[in-house]
Amino acid sequence: MPETVQESGTDQVDADEATVVPTAGGETDTVAPTQQADPAESDSDGDTDSDTDAEDSDEDGDGDDERGSEDLLVREGDIAGDYLERLLDLVDYDGDIDLDVEAGRAVVSIDGGDDLEKLVGPRGNVLEALQELTRLAVQQETGTRSRLMLDIAGWRADRRQELRDLGRATAERVLAGGDERVRLQPMTPFERKVVHDAVATFDGVHSESEGEDPRRRVVVFRQT
Amino acid sequence: MSFLADALEHLVRGIVDNPDDVRVELVTTRRGRTLELHVNPDDLGKVIGRGGRTATSLRTVMAGIGGRGIRVDVVDTDQ
Repeated sequence: MPETVQESGTDQVDADEATVVPTAGGETDTVAPTQQADPAESDSDGDTDSDTDAEDSDEDGDGDDERGSEDLLVREGDIAGDYLERLLDLVDYDGDIDLDVEAGRAVVSIDGGDDLEKLVGPRGNVLEALQELTRLAVQQETGTRSRLMLDIAGWRADRRQELRDLGRATAERVLAGGDERVRLQPMTPFERKVVHDAVATFDGVHSESEGEDPRRRVVVFRQT
Repeated sequence: MSFLADALEHLVRGIVDNPDDVRVELVTTRRGRTLELHVNPDDLGKVIGRGGRTATSLRTVMAGIGGRGIRVDVVDTDQ
């Protein structure tokens, strides 16, 4: 079952692989970036961090520099699991909720029936919104800001691979000559982080983010 | 369609200080279906969020579940 779900989950983003448009409605963060790097995002895929990550990485806009203790993160997962399970019950969607702690943050994954696509939405916009609400629900209980990551129907995992490919292809295109800089479509902080990391594996190019959310986008430059 | 109202009520109850004051009514107007969200006045800031971010998230999730035609209006209980 999860395989089927994952396949249909990518359909929505496969339409134009190399184009990433902003998620609708501005549910991406609008807070001013701070200089605090987000350890959760930085560690999300184990790739090299580029120095541009810091400006993108503060998805939460806070200054937390302590990783939550394991106990707190487990508790975050439990609260999030209850919140989401009740939602699935109310809308009558099939889904198994898996709780984990990875790289200093709670990770909640939901896999199951085709209905879950509605909770992913076009380009993951519903997923991002639901993650935001889930973090607020966790914060309401714990009193601490949460960096919890929510994935549904494997969407983030699939998206990460697509964005990695996009980052690499863009770096190669800039290195090959022609354009000295390539501006990508606006992306969420999660998406930009993956692209920056992919670009950072190449010598001779670097990437930065420019613009304000939800129009903030990655620009890849040839180094001179 | 009352599951939409129930879902919104649940999502909001989890993020406010006064969950028992959360009430959602589904009203149908010429413009379509609207979920009227009533919360304690003290919680208005929480359901709206910085720059309207939380309200936007609520609308996005409800549109995902209920379809694009669904509106969410935030009303405080004094009204």
